[in-house]
Amino acid sequence: MAKKKDSAEAAPNAAATNGAMLRAPAETLYAEELAALQAADKHPRPAGWSMSPRAVLTYICGGKCGSLEITPKYIGHQRLVEIAISTLVTDRALLLIGEPGTAKSWLSEHLSAAINGDSTKVVQGTAGTTEEQIRYTWNYAMLIAHGPSHDALIKSPIFRAMETGSLARFEEITRCASEVQDALISILSEKRLSVPELVTEVPANKGFSVIATANTRDRGVNDMSAALKRRFNIIVLPTPQTLEIEIDIVRKRVQEMAANLELRAELPTEEAIEKVVTIFRELRTGQTLDGKNKLKSPSGVLSTAEAISVLANGMALAGNFGSGEVSPQDLAAGLQGSIVRDEEKDRSVWQEYLSNVLKKRGAEWRPLYNACSEHNA
Amino acid sequence: MSDREIHVFGVRHLSPMGAWQLRAFLDDVQPEVVLIEGLADADELIPDITRKATRPPIAILAYTDSLPVRTLVYPLARYSPEYQALAWAREQRAQVEFIDLPSAVFLGLQDAEFERREKLRAELRETDQEAEPSEPSQAAADASGEDDNSAAPPPAAPPPLEQPRSLYEQMAARAGEADYETYWERHFEHNRARDSYRLASYQFGAALRELEQDTPHWRAENLVREAYMRRRIEEKLADGHAPEKIVAVVGAFHAPVLTREFPAMTDEELASLRRRDSKLTLMPYSYFKLSSQSGYGAGNHAPAYFELLWEALEQNELARLPMQYLSLVTRHLRVSGTHRSTAEVIDGVRLANTLSALKGGLAPTLRDLRDAAVTLIGHGELSTVSESLARVDVGTSVGELPKGVSQTSIQADFERELSRLKLEKYKSVVRQELVLDLRENRRVKTEEAAFLDLRRSSFLHRLRVLEIGFGTLVATGQQSTTWAEKWAVLWGPENEIALVEAVLLGETVELATAYKFKTRLEKCVSIAEAADLVGDACQCGLMNSMELARRRLQELAAESSELAAVAHAAHRLGLIARYGDVRKFDPTPLLPLVEELFVQGALALHNSANCDNQAAKPLVVAMDELNKVGLEYHDRVDEPLWIERLRKLADADDRNPILSGYACAILLERGLIPNEALSREVSRRISPGVPADLGAGWFEGLSQRNRYALLARQPLWEQLGDYVSSLDDEQFRRALVFLRRAFGSFSPQEKRHIAENLGEFWGVHGDTASELIEQPLSEQEEQALGDLNDFDFGDL
Repeated sequence: MAKKKDSAEAAPNAAATNGAMLRAPAETLYAEELAALQAADKHPRPAGWSMSPRAVLTYICGGKCGSLEITPKYIGHQRLVEIAISTLVTDRALLLIGEPGTAKSWLSEHLSAAINGDSTKVVQGTAGTTEEQIRYTWNYAMLIAHGPSHDALIKSPIFRAMETGSLARFEEITRCASEVQDALISILSEKRLSVPELVTEVPANKGFSVIATANTRDRGVNDMSAALKRRFNIIVLPTPQTLEIEIDIVRKRVQEMAANLELRAELPTEEAIEKVVTIFRELRTGQTLDGKNKLKSPSGVLSTAEAISVLANGMALAGNFGSGEVSPQDLAAGLQGSIVRDEEKDRSVWQEYLSNVLKKRGAEWRPLYNACSEHNA
Repeated sequence: MSDREIHVFGVRHLSPMGAWQLRAFLDDVQPEVVLIEGLADADELIPDITRKATRPPIAILAYTDSLPVRTLVYPLARYSPEYQALAWAREQRAQVEFIDLPSAVFLGLQDAEFERREKLRAELRETDQEAEPSEPSQAAADASGEDDNSAAPPPAAPPPLEQPRSLYEQMAARAGEADYETYWERHFEHNRARDSYRLASYQFGAALRELEQDTPHWRAENLVREAYMRRRIEEKLADGHAPEKIVAVVGAFHAPVLTREFPAMTDEELASLRRRDSKLTLMPYSYFKLSSQSGYGAGNHAPAYFELLWEALEQNELARLPMQYLSLVTRHLRVSGTHRSTAEVIDGVRLANTLSALKGGLAPTLRDLRDAAVTLIGHGELSTVSESLARVDVGTSVGELPKGVSQTSIQADFERELSRLKLEKYKSVVRQELVLDLRENRRVKTEEAAFLDLRRSSFLHRLRVLEIGFGTLVATGQQSTTWAEKWAVLWGPENEIALVEAVLLGETVELATAYKFKTRLEKCVSIAEAADLVGDACQCGLMNSMELARRRLQELAAESSELAAVAHAAHRLGLIARYGDVRKFDPTPLLPLVEELFVQGALALHNSANCDNQAAKPLVVAMDELNKVGLEYHDRVDEPLWIERLRKLADADDRNPILSGYACAILLERGLIPNEALSREVSRRISPGVPADLGAGWFEGLSQRNRYALLARQPLWEQLGDYVSSLDDEQFRRALVFLRRAFGSFSPQEKRHIAENLGEFWGVHGDTASELIEQPLSEQEEQALGDLNDFDFGDL
């Protein structure tokens, strides 16, 4: 949990405590920014919010707060963030949908960190999630010893969010079975949770809402029922808008990973990053960047996250088995792996792209073209 | 004369709140004279514009009556402030006049502008092609309706990827809005406070003028126009009207400078302006057309929405607009079969209101409404609601004019073309024939005359594409002649109607055709259709449309791996490129696509070949076509890839045997299979271990090409002979069926040749063999063949 009062000290501490923790929650990492924004916030705050909608927008999309530079957390689609925040203002639940690697959970974490200073009330959806994990369960020892009582109740994150009037997060909601998802329907429409064993009902406090995330590739696995869908405002998160933005994201993440994982290789050149991102973007969108040629898309997702892993993988190869410098061969292996998924079809899609597009790009691209053709042969 | 100023009301053309506030303002001021920014010589059209039978959207159309055709379109919707000003003046019997430059001067200026751009383009082409001139008209156009003619020839090159941000976008960005439309709507279209619009737009115009860093050229045109407008205002004052009783309705940009501080245009200046003879008419307009020309001034990306806004203003129910908009979207969606509940509409309205509040707006803008519709009603997907949104935003309204009011530019253009191409005598109700020879006529002097027939052909093809039934192409006996055409020509009143309707597509026949191509391409979903469109565009002599068609074809082809379609398109394009020179066009842009299609076809070959015999037939044709392209353009296309793929298919045992055999035949024809390799392959394929249908199928494929080469290869027939004799009775019967089919398409002479070959191998003399074959069947043989007929085909 974030310490709202002493966040000034928390920021330097964060680095120290992060050392052991693989990853700290957003409210700890950005405690300083949150505190500054709250202090400077002049606009009215909706009930249960720790800052105004405009301040939340600044926190997510970056900007200035007094002398403090607020780092952008979500780059590119400011309008979608505006819609997301407005949704939460209207007490509707928010559903973020997108391809894998489009920063759904990232956005949901930062939204709840900014709005409540707490992003940890999470239900992590899986095929094994049960209704109890959404509503409540019992401490059975106490239940048997004393019968049903408030003390014996083990509250789910959503239950706790209702009580405190804050946001609960539901990750990967479509991984859960449909009947489990449906436990949310009445919670979201009536905003109360009944506990028949205690002959009572728990009303949600103002400020309660749910941010759920779902994966477009899961469509049709556990489709959300129409009734449940209707209770969400749905936002589809797209892939990065422009080449430049995507290159920025990739560069930033590759640097972080290289430092974190101690890959003993030089960082890929700007040119290599640009090439990989270009290839990913072109195959993903099914057309060349200049928009002049349409292409076939392979079956894989080709998310930004995968572009990052191709480069990190290239660095690992170069560091451990190569010259320490990321060569076209190192990249080609990674590209082949992420593009050619469903053997035959993807292979010819990739081949078509290589000979119709890359081959014609001139000398700069030639080494990469050669390496990729070799791998795809 | 007094120094008092007249009333100036700055508007944005096509602005509902502007229209509403203007009417209120006119009611207050009760002017005697209303002056409107519009073509000065269009005054005579005013009675027609305000007639009862006229239903907007309409447009004032000015056009030159000589070549090159220049046009000006000045659209008016019901919610145009200008239209409402005209209507008000009519109701109140006030004097009303247009005060912008006359059309002759406008068209003259346009001429000069085209020449300048042409020059600029030529210079750029010389230096570098990199930076295409970024169409200054769009970025620098003032908020007026006069410059939506940028589609006129020469059609604009594809816009550069990033245009510098225009003045208007800069203004929007300063106010924290993502685009100018939203900025304008939020700040101008929702505020009903008295006089707010006039004062705000005045400030807006002044701010724009401060920010302005336009190319000097555009500044110049604006200055000329403003000087002229001041001149007209002076004239009115000189007529003795009190300044308080004059209201001028002009674009917000011009409002700040229509004062007496600035000089008016002098007689000499007016006389010195370049002019083109022009004609003026009214034409019916459509909301669709209005929306497709949205720039900063001319268009209006959501005319139907703005009409809703106008109606809401008139009924004093502006607050109802968000509900009405979202309900309309939902209703449309329901009609098309997707159910959405009222609850979702309610939540949509709430979201739109919150979004607007986030920006401190008075009411949701169209953008807020659209985003709310996507989030709530589309469940996050734009594609679900995009059609409904388009319907509610753009609508389908088409304007109406009383009979006889319109003499459109396309009719004039048609007449002009007829006389230029010496086709007048064909414009009769009697059917006549016209035979065209597209080749250059070397006996005449001028180029015009030398290619007269070619031009006629292009013209008739354009009319054909426009579905104006003037000429019908008559099939000639010799299908393949590329230089001759025969037309049956006939004119009727229905053609006249079709012609007038075509003005909605474009102001001249050429422009209309180009537009028609564009819409057809957008609808086009099959590769074959797109390839046909490329051909059509070539026949119409429209290079730009051909380029669009080429792109569409590329898009479609990229999405498909259908070998037959891809191969057919490659072949078709290859032909167009090869024989296009008769039509005097440059085939180079087509060639890269031929290359691409070729690679695609080659890559798709192996997968497609996994099919049954029925599906193999079109593939045989496709392989043949691709092979032809390969031979024709061997220096351009990736032939090694094709050969490699053919080899792969020829060697494959798990693909359709006919196609494998056919691949082998192509390789054989290209001399890529040596004799011994062929023998090995034949014996591998046609051996007793292989099921008869496979072996014979392969042979069928092999024998579909270059039969003479096959006939000449004795070893092949020896193997076939060995094979036949190695079969037992049952196998023989099966094999016979397939072999019979394989040889079915051979001519009698070829069959005889085979018989001789086999005969030689079996030790029978050639002549004897033929004799045996040609002898009538004996009874015993008939019996044997009859037995064969009992053969059970059920399992094949």
